[in-house]
Amino acid sequence: MATSALAVPTSSENVFRKFGGLLPGVALLFAVGYGGKLIERGIANYGKAHHLALPNIEYVLWAIVIGLLIANTVGVPKIFQPGLATYEFWLKAGIVLLGSRFLLGDVLKLGGVSLVLVAIEIVISLLFMTALGRAFGLSPKLTTLLAVGSSICGVSAIIATQGAIDADDEDASYAIAAILSLGAISLFTFPLIGHWLHLSDQSYGLWAGLGIDNTAEVTAAGNLYSDAAGKVAVLAKTARNAMIGFVVLGYAIHWARKTHSQEVENKASFLWQKFPKFVLGFLLISAIATAGVFGKDQLTSLANLSRWAFLLTFAGVGLRTNIRELGKQGWRPFAVGAVGEIVIAALTLGLVYGADKLVGWGH
Amino acid sequence: MSEKTDAPNLKTKATGFLSLDTWAVLLALGLSALVWVGLIKKVPW
Repeated sequence: MATSALAVPTSSENVFRKFGGLLPGVALLFAVGYGGKLIERGIANYGKAHHLALPNIEYVLWAIVIGLLIANTVGVPKIFQPGLATYEFWLKAGIVLLGSRFLLGDVLKLGGVSLVLVAIEIVISLLFMTALGRAFGLSPKLTTLLAVGSSICGVSAIIATQGAIDADDEDASYAIAAILSLGAISLFTFPLIGHWLHLSDQSYGLWAGLGIDNTAEVTAAGNLYSDAAGKVAVLAKTARNAMIGFVVLGYAIHWARKTHSQEVENKASFLWQKFPKFVLGFLLISAIATAGVFGKDQLTSLANLSRWAFLLTFAGVGLRTNIRELGKQGWRPFAVGAVGEIVIAALTLGLVYGADKLVGWGH
Repeated sequence: MSEKTDAPNLKTKATGFLSLDTWAVLLALGLSALVWVGLIKKVPW
């Protein structure tokens, strides 16, 4: 949907038609997201006025809940769909802008530890999910998609891999449904477990960044815990996302050899094509901010811009979620995904605990 | 438990010459430039 909605038109008339087609959906994203922001503010004001210690439930959760309610009760008319599909675009723009909040020194400091954890998480997740898919009798390509989705970055990785290994749309739908379903559950369970274990912002953020698969859910789960945890979660997830090109390339070569269907002629070009460019944008903005180009007020403005972008994103996450569709997906991909996610979540929690002991976060 | 409808259609390739990722980066960099030169003075939240 995003493909057609944002496709390059052949004339200026088409440009206006294409962008005009996005407006209703984007307006709905804004309305839902802003509704979430108003609810958050309303509850805070009510608590303050009545001297009540109400829980601070952020706009992130309200936007998702409102979106879920709309999408799964009255439904979303077709006219809104092209605009709703832009939620991933806002997510990526928001993450790039978020780079302004990360001084490169902090990125590098976290990078050393994260990269080791990311590498361990990716290797073990790929191996475990592949073994699990085989044990449950899933097709090899669906198993590959689930393994990549669980180990790297959810929907983006699945979509990139689907193209690379020429998997069926049906397999990709199954894998995406499984990953997103479990991501939605993680959104609520991770913060609860984090609070229960009294994890520091740093530890929790790293765990969320390693253990949750889709970038939107990682960002949401991180921000639900705290602003600082959200920053770390995005950073860890960004490190995972950066590996997408290499893993997809590996699978593409593997499947090309296996099926003799299509050789990857130019590996460098393939890597570049699959590499998530927003990771570079994030690093670029971070480098610019580290160089002291932006003043304090300007950094606040950039951070707020990223919040507005995320507001649209989280509304989209809820509005594009169809709970009823799940019944049609069959149980085995979900069983593989669920078992895999629980094991990976436990494993990454252990990794974070180990790293915490070594590095001494939260002390 | 949930699913994003039409999610498989969210290809990374958004246009014939620039990906969705690249457009997102360009938008973010453009906005950052506007903030830096002062055309966007303050973004409220």
